[in-house]
Amino acid sequence: MKQGAFRIAMPHVIFIVVFLGLWEITMRREWLPETFFGSPSGIAAYLWNGFVTTGKLWLDLGYTVLGTLISFLLGSASALALGLCFVMFPKLERACDPYLTMLNAMPRFALAPLFLLWFGLGLGSKVAVGTSLSFFIVLANTVAGVRGVSADLLVLSRALGATPRQIFFKVTLPSAVPVIFSGLRLALVYSMLGVVGAEIIAAEHGLGQTLAYLQSSFDMNGVMGLLLLLACLGMLVTLGMTRLERALLKWQ
Amino acid sequence: MAAISIAGLTVRFGDVLAVDDLSVDIEDGEFVSIVGPSGCGKTTVLNILTGLVGSTQGRVSLLGKAPVLGNPDVAYMLARDSLLPWRSALENASYGMEIRGVDQASRHARARELLRRVGLAGFEQHYPKMLSHGMRQRCALARTFCLDSPVMLMDEPFGALDAQTKLQLEDLLLQLWTEHRRTVVFITHDLAEAVALSDRVLVMSARPGRVVADMRIALPRPRSVRALQKDRHFLDIYAEVWARLEEGLGSTAPAASAQGEAVE
Repeated sequence: MKQGAFRIAMPHVIFIVVFLGLWEITMRREWLPETFFGSPSGIAAYLWNGFVTTGKLWLDLGYTVLGTLISFLLGSASALALGLCFVMFPKLERACDPYLTMLNAMPRFALAPLFLLWFGLGLGSKVAVGTSLSFFIVLANTVAGVRGVSADLLVLSRALGATPRQIFFKVTLPSAVPVIFSGLRLALVYSMLGVVGAEIIAAEHGLGQTLAYLQSSFDMNGVMGLLLLLACLGMLVTLGMTRLERALLKWQ
Repeated sequence: MAAISIAGLTVRFGDVLAVDDLSVDIEDGEFVSIVGPSGCGKTTVLNILTGLVGSTQGRVSLLGKAPVLGNPDVAYMLARDSLLPWRSALENASYGMEIRGVDQASRHARARELLRRVGLAGFEQHYPKMLSHGMRQRCALARTFCLDSPVMLMDEPFGALDAQTKLQLEDLLLQLWTEHRRTVVFITHDLAEAVALSDRVLVMSARPGRVVADMRIALPRPRSVRALQKDRHFLDIYAEVWARLEEGLGSTAPAASAQGEAVE
């Protein structure tokens, strides 16, 4: 096992070391301007300073992660509830559909200035943007998941004498879980995108806000460092969800 | 009194006459197969008995009552295994009993026993995805026999299996049926399967569905479907039913003779 993991990791390690080495040399020899690209040693120094020496980045990271989690929970819980209502009352869905389509078509970042006005520079506005993204993803997947239940399972259950309640809890809901789950995974990533996006536009604290500040002050080491941080955060989030999914959906 | 009694049943779907004036009585404990080309309305007849389709004309009674969806007197089995993919074999075999309110301890005990009988001992905790097609259909068979229902309605339960697995499961069905005697209505398009399993074979014509032959199969029981494949008597009866089928199709529905070939 260990041997196998090592064999898979090795080419990646070599690639990353060569890539960073070339980048560093390019900057040291001034083949390209460091002001535009930063350098690996500069990025490392920035992250070290931010997390260890001053510890200032922890606060920003905390705001972004908290905003992401709140957006995710708020968006998916309300979308799940509404999606199930839609399935129980198809008329409600037909009535709401045009409005929801319209809302979903709106570019969310264009709404961010409004949200800022309404909810202020704190957590409120970034959570509003994040939620407005995660909500629609989970809503669509909930409805699709519940609709996608196999007709055979329904026929068999009805023939066995299952009540509508039994059918919902024993057949429809469990069969929708995988589709809902892939929606949740996507929603978590989009919550983060929404939150960071809103922070870039304006916020008191947060990785997005810091990123915008560094960009405007031409601190490319800082910008690259934060981009790296966000990418790692996104990967971690997806990995966590995949683990959870595998544990919950062993039967797949 | 007949377990199942159908008189003058006529079913229309829009303009299409699916079943035309069908009448048949099925005795208690009898194993009856309904054979016919696809689209002859044999599944419709079964769905009327389960209560999934309302009958349009005629009189249908099942143990003296009109068919109703979820009737506890009826166990139902489909061509596709219809196992719940998120449940283990044990939980799937117990599913019917669970729906009907049997408590967990007794339904698990019975499901274990039936799983053992269908050859799935040791696979109780496996999910359907980990089982082969044949094993999944064995599990569905266990689920069906776990129910105490006196009537079993089976819609081509082995239609999707390969020939070898099919023979094994047909024998298994006969063994289980010998132990837990029920009235069985078995839908199939496979004439050999119908003859090997049944006490009686009803042959239906292509649309509109009518009974063109109603034959008793005088093969002794207990039977082994596998052994019957080479049995002279079985082959004679099979040929005879085949002839009656062609004759029936020819006389009642001349246009259907081409479709009659699809019966085998």
